[in-house]
Amino acid sequence: MLLLALLRLGEGAYGVTIAQELEEQTGREVVIASVYATLERLQERGLVTSSLGDSTPERGGRAKRYFRITAAGTHEVRDARRALMNLWKGLPELKGEKA
Amino acid sequence: MTSKQPPRIATWMLKHFGSGANIDAVLGDLAEQYLQKDSAMWYWRQAMSAIPVSFFKEIRGHKRIAARALLTGWVMWILCGKSIFPLVSPFFFGAWTVMWMPVLGQVGLARPFYLIFTAFANALPLIVGAMCGWLVARFHRNQQTAVVLLFAGSILLMDLLLFGPFILNVKPAVAYHFVGPVAANVAASVLGILLGGGLLRYRSKTVSN
Repeated sequence: MLLLALLRLGEGAYGVTIAQELEEQTGREVVIASVYATLERLQERGLVTSSLGDSTPERGGRAKRYFRITAAGTHEVRDARRALMNLWKGLPELKGEKA
Repeated sequence: MTSKQPPRIATWMLKHFGSGANIDAVLGDLAEQYLQKDSAMWYWRQAMSAIPVSFFKEIRGHKRIAARALLTGWVMWILCGKSIFPLVSPFFFGAWTVMWMPVLGQVGLARPFYLIFTAFANALPLIVGAMCGWLVARFHRNQQTAVVLLFAGSILLMDLLLFGPFILNVKPAVAYHFVGPVAANVAASVLGILLGGGLLRYRSKTVSN
C-alpha cells in the first residue's frame, strides 16, 4: 500500500503527504512513525530511496525526508498486483462486484 | 504559548525517547500537520505511538546489538554490587542489601539514621544506574536511545518482579509504608540509567544520505 502511495505521489512524497494519502484512501488515522518504520524496512530491501529536503520554520526547523520508489520497488508493485488479480479471479462469489 | 505550538511535553518526550535516524523527520512532520489539525489529542496520540513504534523497530532491526547492550548493562550492574559496594558496606549495613531491599534496612532506625539511610538507599541506585546507562550508551552510540530504554526497561521489570510479589503479599497497612521507599528506589535506578545514558540531553539524530 505504501509503495502504491509513493507511486501516486511521485516527487513530493514525504511523511505528511504519504500519511494524508493513506488516510484518504483507507479512511483510517495513520501513525506517522509507522509510515517511517515501514519505509525504512522497504529502504533496507532496496525498494525505496530517501533524501533530506530543506528545513522550514513550520516544521520547527527540521528537514523533510523525501522518499522515492526504485525500479525494484515498481517491479514489486507489479508482482503484487498480478498475484492479487489471480487471487481475485478465484473468488466466484465476488464476480458481480468491481475489483 | 500560542495555540499553534504543539504540546511541549509530548514533543519533549518524543525528542528524548524516540529512537532511530528518522525521529527528527517525524517531529517535523508532526509539527507541520499540527498546524493544519490543531488538535492536541491527535498530537499526543501520534507522539506517544511514535516512541514504542520507533523503539521496537530499532530493537527488531538490531537484535544482536540489543542483546549485547543488555548483557553489558547487567554485567556492570552485578559487578557494581559484587565489587564496589562491599567497600562501603561496613558503614551502611551492606550496600548490596540497600540495592535490593531498600526498605528492610530502615526498620527500627531512629530518625537521623533513617534519613541518612533513605538518602543513601536512593543515591546508590541512581549512581549505579548512571554508570551502567553511560556504559551501555557509550558502546552502542548508533542505537543509543533504544538500547538505553531497553536496559532501563529490563531493570524496571526486574524490580517489579522482585518487589511486586513482596508488596502484594504483606498486609495493606504494612505495604503502605513500603510502597513509597520502594518506588523511590526503583525510580532512582531508572532515572540514573536515563541520565547516564544521555537520554535527558537532546541531540539531533538525523542521518543524511
